[in-house]
Amino acid sequence: MQLYSPLSTTPKRKAFRAPALASLDGLRIGIIENGKLNAEEMLNEVAALFVARNGCVVRTLASKKNASAPAPGNTLLNVAQEVDFLITGLGD
Amino acid sequence: MAALAPRIHDAPDDLLAAIDYCYEQGWTDGLPVVPPAVDRVKAMLAADDRPPETAIAHHPATGLDLSLHAAAVNAVMAGCLPEYFPVLVAAFEAMDRPDFNFHGSTASTGGSAPLLVVSGPYADEIGMNADVNLFGPGNRANATIGRAVRLILRNVFQMLPGISDKSTQGNPGKYSFCIAERSRGNPWPPLCEAQGYAEGVSSVTAYAGGGFCNVENHGGNTPEQVLGSVADTMANYGCITLGQSVVILAPEHMRIVADAGWTREQAQDFLFRRAKRPIEGLKGVGKYREREYDSQHGGDAHALADAGFMHRGLKPDDILITMGGGDAGGHSCFIPSWSRGRGSIMQHAPIAVPANKRS
Amino acid sequence: MVLCTTPFEVTARNIARVLGLPDYPFLTVQHPIGSCTVPELKARAEIAYRQALPILLQP
Repeated sequence: MQLYSPLSTTPKRKAFRAPALASLDGLRIGIIENGKLNAEEMLNEVAALFVARNGCVVRTLASKKNASAPAPGNTLLNVAQEVDFLITGLGD
Repeated sequence: MAALAPRIHDAPDDLLAAIDYCYEQGWTDGLPVVPPAVDRVKAMLAADDRPPETAIAHHPATGLDLSLHAAAVNAVMAGCLPEYFPVLVAAFEAMDRPDFNFHGSTASTGGSAPLLVVSGPYADEIGMNADVNLFGPGNRANATIGRAVRLILRNVFQMLPGISDKSTQGNPGKYSFCIAERSRGNPWPPLCEAQGYAEGVSSVTAYAGGGFCNVENHGGNTPEQVLGSVADTMANYGCITLGQSVVILAPEHMRIVADAGWTREQAQDFLFRRAKRPIEGLKGVGKYREREYDSQHGGDAHALADAGFMHRGLKPDDILITMGGGDAGGHSCFIPSWSRGRGSIMQHAPIAVPANKRS
Repeated sequence: MVLCTTPFEVTARNIARVLGLPDYPFLTVQHPIGSCTVPELKARAEIAYRQALPILLQP
């Protein structure tokens, strides 16, 4: 019996990770928080350790209006131009 | 990027073995599905005039699209007849709108299921149930349209229980949550008319429903008494939020409300005014949020919002109320929103009946 | 760097798979975050920081 697959026919995306960093010294960090309880506080605490131990600088804090939607494209574009790496959260 | 051609699986010819095959592929909701044989899918697709590769919904979180073809495959698996397909398509066209946020409502620990309310003549044409046992089993159209929604969320958008659907308690509506609005004996205009559709056009309203609360009242005999018990249910501490509401009034309750001359708008106003909790009470259970209070009582505050209280929703229009269920029983129901605020707003879409099916 | 809590690890891996990066490394800390005190957040941040270092610096 021939059955059609019930899955989506959207082609698989190709994605690449950012290259590794040579050093963390003095780098610029961006934070995107998702509005969940303590999300901003948690991400700030992580960033604070990079600031204290690696001389990093927190450049940008952006907030997603909707925790369960991807960050709007212009949020990522804007943040990416100003930072060397990003910290964000997933889930609750 | 162009969609891939739909994949075909070679399954055993034996029907029971094919059902097992579908289980092994992980395509089911835990119940057996109808194997999506090629000829059945083609028959389902004939219920929509557009090319099968037409995308009718997009999932921002994964980038995956729902094509008419994939919708048809899952509709067959759910047990739908082709004449149900336009309802399912309209449902996803409504759910696709950003304000509905079907990803959030499906992925959330809050455990919502999309409730579909079908209004208008098409509900009768395809034999939907608007009557006794409204939310229960037994009607093929209600059961399978709702089921197809879940199979699509699972199979097409990969919203898998425990993995990408993190609902803490789940929700029985995740199996199927689809009803028809009762027109027989309903004194109020049907939803499709209130939504602005032309005469003869039916609609489906999609709502991210967080559960089901039966509201029993056999002694009340005024609108205030009957709707008072509904309002209290809407404002219980486990449910009260700025989110929307769906209220289905039993015919017994509707008779009391309508015999007193109350319109839908009067009922909405009453429910909004009464479905509230004092802020001290909310603080007592750890659910008071100042920014939520401010959004309800700020510059756009509705005139019926009382200071010192959190009402359910932001305005009376946040409450969809209509009639449904059997003639006997003082049992209405309230469906709380998944969204605690404006994270998902109910959406409606017209049901497009293909040209060769129009009478 | 994407931070999640332990019950959402499987969610994170699934979305990474669907988005074409099945081996994407996440930072994972104890659940929950929402009800944490400041000291509890700081303890979780320390764990996340130590997980992040090799991910950021190694190819």
